[in-house]
Amino acid sequence: MNDLKNIIMKKVININFQGRVIPIEESAFELLKAYTDSLRRCFAQEEGKDEIINDIESRIAELFGEVLKKGSVCITDDQVNAIIDNMGRPEDLEQGTTTAGTANNSGQQTSGGSGNFTNRGQLFRDENDKILGGVCSGIANYFKIDPSIVRVAFVLATIGWGSGTLLYIVLWAILPGSKAKPGTRTKRLFRNPDEKVVAGVASGIASYFDIAVWIPRLIFALPLITGLGASLINTVFNVWYWSDEPVSRIVFSSFGGTLLIIYLVLWAIIPEAKSASEKLEMRGEKVDLNSIKTTIQEDLHSFAARAEKWGKEVNEKAQDFGKDVSQTVKSSAQSATSVVTPVAKSGISRIGTAIGILFKAFFMFIFGVVALVLLITLVAILFAGAAVFPLKNFLLEGFDQQFLGWVFLLLFFGTPIIALVTSLIRRMMGVKPGNKYIGYTFAGMWVLGLISGLLLVSSIKKDFSVRVREKQENTLTQPSSGKIFVKLKEANIVRHFGPGINMTGLVRLFKDSIQISNIDLRIEKSPDSLYHLNSTRISSGKDDQKAGANLSAMQFGFQQQDSVLILDRGIILPPGSKFRNQQMILTLQVPLGQKVMIDRAVKNKFFYLNLSNINFAEVDEVDDWELEESNESWRSGVEYVMTESGLKKTGVTVEEKNWDDNGENNEYNSPDSRKSRRQLERELERKNRELEELKKGKDNLEETKKVNIESFNNSKRTTSFFARMTAAWNQSVQIPRDKVTTAAMLFYHKMM
Amino acid sequence: MRKGVLEFCILSIVRQGEVYPSDLVEKMKVANLHILEGTLYPLLTRLKNAGVLTYRWVESNSGPPRKYFVMTDQGLEFYKELEATWQELANAVATLTKNENKETITTNPTTTSLSSGDSNE
Repeated sequence: MNDLKNIIMKKVININFQGRVIPIEESAFELLKAYTDSLRRCFAQEEGKDEIINDIESRIAELFGEVLKKGSVCITDDQVNAIIDNMGRPEDLEQGTTTAGTANNSGQQTSGGSGNFTNRGQLFRDENDKILGGVCSGIANYFKIDPSIVRVAFVLATIGWGSGTLLYIVLWAILPGSKAKPGTRTKRLFRNPDEKVVAGVASGIASYFDIAVWIPRLIFALPLITGLGASLINTVFNVWYWSDEPVSRIVFSSFGGTLLIIYLVLWAIIPEAKSASEKLEMRGEKVDLNSIKTTIQEDLHSFAARAEKWGKEVNEKAQDFGKDVSQTVKSSAQSATSVVTPVAKSGISRIGTAIGILFKAFFMFIFGVVALVLLITLVAILFAGAAVFPLKNFLLEGFDQQFLGWVFLLLFFGTPIIALVTSLIRRMMGVKPGNKYIGYTFAGMWVLGLISGLLLVSSIKKDFSVRVREKQENTLTQPSSGKIFVKLKEANIVRHFGPGINMTGLVRLFKDSIQISNIDLRIEKSPDSLYHLNSTRISSGKDDQKAGANLSAMQFGFQQQDSVLILDRGIILPPGSKFRNQQMILTLQVPLGQKVMIDRAVKNKFFYLNLSNINFAEVDEVDDWELEESNESWRSGVEYVMTESGLKKTGVTVEEKNWDDNGENNEYNSPDSRKSRRQLERELERKNRELEELKKGKDNLEETKKVNIESFNNSKRTTSFFARMTAAWNQSVQIPRDKVTTAAMLFYHKMM
Repeated sequence: MRKGVLEFCILSIVRQGEVYPSDLVEKMKVANLHILEGTLYPLLTRLKNAGVLTYRWVESNSGPPRKYFVMTDQGLEFYKELEATWQELANAVATLTKNENKETITTNPTTTSLSSGDSNE
């Protein structure tokens, strides 16, 4: 820092000092300010300190005037130093007054030099250094420790078990107030505004304990870093499982949360080292003008930015002084009140700043959380992007799109992360914000990413520009029971955990095929007396030809086993095909008076997402109703009968929770459930026999037997199910034949 | 200890007529009594608050008006008291030193009396 002295050019500012306009070098001004600050501290408890300082300042101003009159262009450091030497440094003055004060011990106190409390005899409230009542600083004084420590202890006591406040109030009431002399402690805990990342707490602590800045910072940042790392790992390995929010886990996890609270408390309690003398106190150096000067010279490089602020402050102060002067002129009696009011004012303003700090902390906290969320989101997107890597081949076509996709992913999402991390590291390492070009570069890269993203979107958009459809009509063999049950084909590949990618169930990528579940199943009235299953395949493409090819590549099949209609689990595409918003509308036409029931798995599996509404494709306007979202005219697991006015519930439903979803969980049949199943089967047989016996007198027993028992498809069974079965059975005794058969049939389906 | 004497010296200068603090310093410097202006101002303010001194604003040819200090009637009485005490003290010291007693430390109690006299005002 010493080479700063060699700087030839110095900025000169004009200050209004005690009614005089003084051109002064910035560094000299800083010296002057430090000096007046130190005086203020020196005379802090002096009666009429404002007047004294005012007098001294006007004298300095006068001396400045003389220097200028002699032909100097501006006031330099040396001149300020000379004048200060002439006036006397605070420690010299202090000595002059305190010796008198100590000599005075026997008599009443003179107004000055009272602050000799090297003897710890009495516990009192320190009214010079207070936030509320000065209790903490008084205690600190008594035990000769830093008031901040006592304050933290009090706050923790309040947070911890609420007794801190009470104790404080009691002490406030009991302890006599006294004015301690400032500057008796050699070292104080301050927040360091020069080396701050958030509020300078960590760097202040570092100065206090004389350790490297990064140590407290690391301690405060550690839970954040580990949390971030953990969530990253979590994100990478479970891309689609956002079980807990990672952010809240980081911020509020016990360890990190405690540190965060401690940081906030410290922020609110520890004063910021504003003046040069406070900065020296922070470092535990002796507060005299030479050390102040060196501190100031160390600070010199950052002055340019602050010059305006200082200037403003000086103006304000000068105005204040002017007011004070006029007050003094009015009457000297008023000086007493003018002493009292600043004390009161300072008390209020300290509470004010405390509240202000709390607010600031709050907003910084919010901001920090938002920034953190942003960072995590970006990282997550980046990693998620990597995880859906196989999917990109499914969407993107040709080198151009692949390239654009990569550029977009890396630049658009990667750049902000790198920039954020870089700036964070730079701040933590204390690197001053250097050239702006880094920022420009990052911005440029990001814009490049954005542009490539836009290009990619428009390129992909082209691939969806034409949309074609093909309708196919199938007549089903008529079920003998007059009812059709729709279910899904059992999955031949059972996969619990594995590299298969499941994009919210819409797309499944397998080694040999791609499966899309974008299928809508609708039920409508058959024009004739037969069941029909009509399928409409829809696909997009760059042009008619491509779209047609895409369309014909779509495979969807179904099987019929008498009354059971087994559908494929999805549209199957050959490997290497692209996603062109393939979708399918299945229309099951049910003849009048016939029944239909749809397995719950169908609803779960088919995921109709009509992207054509938000699509860019020009749809053939032929029958647009078909593309509209089906308005859920049916529910799964409910039996319907087709009437003139549409579907109608028959009142028979299937317990939803026990309905097998997709046949993929079948392996989990425990021995228990198997056992109960056997019991149930026996139970069912018995019931069947009873049923038959009961119905012997009645006709049409055959219908019951016709039910497909072979379509047993195991499922989890519970006793409640059994109870239900019996209930349904009891019911069926009273109800007419038609219903009885339905109920019986339902049993079997349930048993599946 | 020096303070009591200082006050006495300052008062004796102010008694001769209204004075500007820096002139006061100069005069004391001539008498080979070096005092910092920073020490002087608080002293003056204290004396002023004690009613010993008062000041008036005098227009200066350059810059804002200056504060000139004058002694009050009360101050004059106080000064006379001080002068008497000082004389006693000086005599005491003189006699003591003439008797070749090297207990120069005995100055301490005198200071106490001086200072208490000061604050009694």
